[in-house]
Amino acid sequence: MFPVRVLGLTKDFPQGFWRPRPHRAVDGLSFDIPEGGVFGLLGPNGAGKSTTLKLLLDLLRPTAGRAEILGRPAGDVGARQRLGFLPENPTFYDHLTAEELLEYFAGLFGYRGEDRRARAGAALDRVGLGADRRRPLRQYSKGMVQRVGLAQAIVNDPALVILDEPMSGLDPIGRRDVREMILALRDEGRTVLFSSHILSDAEQLCSRVGILAKGRLVAEGTVGELTRHAGGTDVTASDVPTAFVDRAAARVRKTSRIADGRYRFELAPGERPEPFIADLAAAGAALVSVAPVGASLEDAFLHALGNDVRVDDTRGDRSAAS
Amino acid sequence: MRRVPLWIGIAVVAAGIGSAAALLHAREAVPLPDADARVLFVRPGPAARRVFLSFDAIAADVYWIRTIQHYGRDRHSLRTTGRFELLQPLLDLTTTLDPHFNLAYRFGAVFLAMDPPNGPGRPDQAIALLEKGLSVAPNRWQYAHDIAYVNYWYTGNALEAARWFEKAADMPGAPEWLRPLAATTRAAGGDRTGARLLLHEMATSDQAYIRQTAARSLAQLDALDAIDRLTAIVEQYHTRTDAYPHAWSDVVSAGLLAGPPVEPTSGAPFLYDAATHAVTLSPDSKLLPLPHLGR
Amino acid sequence: MTVRRIALVAWHVFKEHVRDRVLYAIAGFALLLVAASILLGQLTAGEDVKIIKDLGLAVIEGAGLLMTIFLGVGLVSREIDRRSIISLLAKPLPRWQFIVGKYLGLVLTIVVNVAAMTVALFLMLKYLDWRALPVERAAWDAAAADPHLLLATLMIAIELALLTAVALFFSAFSSSALLSLAFTIGIYVTGVFSLDLRRFGDTVEAPSIVSHVVAAIGWIVPAFSAFDLKAQVVHGLPVPASYVTLTAGYGVIYAAAAVVAAILVFSRREFT
Repeated sequence: MFPVRVLGLTKDFPQGFWRPRPHRAVDGLSFDIPEGGVFGLLGPNGAGKSTTLKLLLDLLRPTAGRAEILGRPAGDVGARQRLGFLPENPTFYDHLTAEELLEYFAGLFGYRGEDRRARAGAALDRVGLGADRRRPLRQYSKGMVQRVGLAQAIVNDPALVILDEPMSGLDPIGRRDVREMILALRDEGRTVLFSSHILSDAEQLCSRVGILAKGRLVAEGTVGELTRHAGGTDVTASDVPTAFVDRAAARVRKTSRIADGRYRFELAPGERPEPFIADLAAAGAALVSVAPVGASLEDAFLHALGNDVRVDDTRGDRSAAS
Repeated sequence: MRRVPLWIGIAVVAAGIGSAAALLHAREAVPLPDADARVLFVRPGPAARRVFLSFDAIAADVYWIRTIQHYGRDRHSLRTTGRFELLQPLLDLTTTLDPHFNLAYRFGAVFLAMDPPNGPGRPDQAIALLEKGLSVAPNRWQYAHDIAYVNYWYTGNALEAARWFEKAADMPGAPEWLRPLAATTRAAGGDRTGARLLLHEMATSDQAYIRQTAARSLAQLDALDAIDRLTAIVEQYHTRTDAYPHAWSDVVSAGLLAGPPVEPTSGAPFLYDAATHAVTLSPDSKLLPLPHLGR
Repeated sequence: MTVRRIALVAWHVFKEHVRDRVLYAIAGFALLLVAASILLGQLTAGEDVKIIKDLGLAVIEGAGLLMTIFLGVGLVSREIDRRSIISLLAKPLPRWQFIVGKYLGLVLTIVVNVAAMTVALFLMLKYLDWRALPVERAAWDAAAADPHLLLATLMIAIELALLTAVALFFSAFSSSALLSLAFTIGIYVTGVFSLDLRRFGDTVEAPSIVSHVVAAIGWIVPAFSAFDLKAQVVHGLPVPASYVTLTAGYGVIYAAAAVVAAILVFSRREFT
């Protein structure tokens, strides 16, 4: 069984009376999420990630296509019994304490009495709010509210957990905690679906990813599949004759001069480094290092989006991606 | 959960509101003491203005609406006692709360003066209300004119009417026809010629209800004229046959009338009483009661 | 399970209002007014019991109206504004149960408040009764702590329950609390004048189509003035039982229809 199935999902939003052409936020989306593991729904802001998740939860109604959750149509109340959901930037009720909120929600899942109290307490302990459970939510910091949000998403022992931008607005410690929580949920055999526009998080967590752009699914698969075509090899050498540099230009993706006679050559993915190194040695250059370039999700992401961005030497400047 | 089709939902809501309205309708059959809330809540007087703080103008409007409702409701109701009993206090309260409520004075006076069953038949209250208006706005010739009209039409006091027509004519902005009207009234007293003159002027008024009142009064005058004519015909029959007719049919067969006489505006027949030989208007006529004006 | 979930939502609404300062402001103001009527009663010789009953019942109704309108209009729209609706609707809570729970929660809040104010009014009347001389008592239209007053407050409670349903409908309809406030107040005012609309033809000369349309509107809008038994009860006049049952039936059925309409609207809404 696929915990999430999406078939031809399309959502149009009207744009106002004088603009009869609706805005298509999600366009013919189809994918299945297998049981277990972490699925990352990635894409730049406005790609349709949140809209997709809201369609899965029946908060929005599709213009066309359909979605299934845990084998039942989206909107089926029974399916939500084993579903946990954390909205983007969640807000709850200021007048309640964390404990009251969790008990309220646990009650909606049908737990009663001691069981209900115990589940609420366990969920709060798990996100590290055990000590603050009797404080009203209005006194909570943003990070604490996010933890409450996580607690309410797991209070019903869900088979599927959907998290919308779970790391947005958190400090580094908070992000680490959320990452660990996601991995722990995966290890317990739950399926986790989360959306993010931060790729490094996804790279560390996801077994599968889907990349959305302008409402369409532009890539989907395991991280390994997606990064296969990215990468390459960096070869650094000293005492390189200028003539060789000119000759090599056709064979390498990029050449950077580090110092006098010291160069770094970037070989394209699929280009084997050995012949190039042999030629280097024959030209009298001294080999300094050979390093495979990390096959990054970001490269795959940019590749999928069709943004042919020149990655600079420093590999840090990614202004084009943000 | 699949959603219920919209039309079923709308049908349920409509059925609910419909059956609720049916209950409300059924409730109207249950008599409730004082269901019309025939209570004033506030006694007229200076205190009334303080009770409503700065909202006395709005309160005056509310009481004005209640006045109209009270009048309309009682005019259509079958109650025999206490008809229009709140008309005067309501008008007094309205004009206390808003002393410049022009319409309340003029409308109120006409209806206070109306004879039963169309009004309480209190020309004295009508005149008092208009005098209250004049005490606030001494130069409103319309109020003086209306006092004259009430005197002329309802109390039959032609001299007093003439005096008020003259007062009205002296006020700034008064129309020119008031002075000849005053003179005619003084000279002819309460006769129909003078009344016609007055009513023809009123029939050109800019106020619709005054025009309607004038038209009705003119029809009443015509009915009085018709009764006089018919009485003369009955007398003519008597001199010709030396006997009084038993019914209109005798007069018709004698060739003195084309058919049984009918009052044209209301369509009500004129009745002939064989015992007293008197001609009267059918009690169904909306023109009743007729004023007492000499020829 | 259905009943339990509805009760949970309703209880949560009640809890929220109990912790809301607005409620205390209105309730405190109401109690102050009821107490002030004692002073006012002393200024009006002889009629103090009547005036305190008049004022007490008017304050109960007025404060109830304020609570109903201001809390009712935010009943659903506040959840949407602060986006708490998104996590709530992801729970196994059908939307119709959410609406019914919200409705019953506010009705509970209002009934508790009306009951509290009624108790305060009765305590005050008991005190007057205890203090009054037999001669004064004989002049009263009805006993001071007259149980018939409960009839008037019951009718007020039903009227408020109906107004809650109307406010809930507009709250479910519109995302702007201000707009639903305007609609609710508009319907309330129209409803107060519904009797005049139904009798429009009696008082105003108009073409019969116009008076029929106006009368139809008078039948369709919720007849808020229909629940007013204050004058009868204060003056100790008899109120037929069938009058009370028909009025109560009207209020309950109309309120149910309005809640169904709110469910219809709400179950079709989307949340971005």
